Amino acid sequence: MYDFLASNQLYIVMCIVLINWFGLLAYLFRIDGRLRKLEQSTYAKDEKA
Amino acid sequence: MIRSTTGKALLSIWLTLVIVAGLAMPMVPVPRTWYELPWIPGLEQKARIILFHVPMAWVTLVAFISAMVYGIQFLKTKNLDYDLKSVNAAGLGTVFCILATVTGSIWAKFNWGSFWNWDPRETSIFILLLIYGAYFALRSSIEGAEKRAALSAAYSIIAGVTAPFFIFVMPRIMSGLHPGAKGDEGGAAPVAQLHMPPNMLVVFFASLLGFTMLYVWLFSVRMRISKLEEHH
Repeated sequence: MYDFLASNQLYIVMCIVLINWFGLLAYLFRIDGRLRKLEQSTYAKDEKA
Repeated sequence: MIRSTTGKALLSIWLTLVIVAGLAMPMVPVPRTWYELPWIPGLEQKARIILFHVPMAWVTLVAFISAMVYGIQFLKTKNLDYDLKSVNAAGLGTVFCILATVTGSIWAKFNWGSFWNWDPRETSIFILLLIYGAYFALRSSIEGAEKRAALSAAYSIIAGVTAPFFIFVMPRIMSGLHPGAKGDEGGAAPVAQLHMPPNMLVVFFASLLGFTMLYVWLFSVRMRISKLEEHH
């Protein structure tokens, strides 16, 4: 793997772009989870009312 | 602007074009057309990382400076909205700082032979991560919204002042492995000092702008969630 990447350096740049992408995606999932919790508690409140 | 659907669509297209240009523009020894990038000795294809790694460090700085400015505004007005803005900016700054560290570390493996070398640039970003790690530890250890906001605002001001020093100054005044370090004149240094051909500069600044706008978008989403959480 290392040798392949060392001799095909464009793939290193692609890995870096993918890391940025997955990092931001993971962050998006995290804030989406927070939003879902809020939605659930709102719906629960509405049902009680 | 970024809250409208058109703004979000434009930003998505903008960042897609930046990624395509950054990966697809061919590198040749002597560029002859607008879409050819120069072959940089010592960096070769890896020179393209400047288009994706540096914007992460740039957004980190923007976020930490915003956290500092919101901290100052909180101390002036005692409005807790500014505390919320400050902590959300610091949180996003930490995410981008981690991305800058990880992408830089992968590049280091293929350029310097090891993921971590304690080069001044690596050391400075590590210290910055520790500083902001301590910021969140401080916040979680204080009871009472007012007291927590006041102490973390003071901390974010001190931390924000150190951020430009650790990102821009320290790595340039010390000799090290990173391009642009003190004493590094040839090879990759011109790229680190932004002495690039115009077409590469255009893609570079388009990337800086695109990721900064992405930060603004994420910040606005995070603020909206925090405000909803406050009212629950």
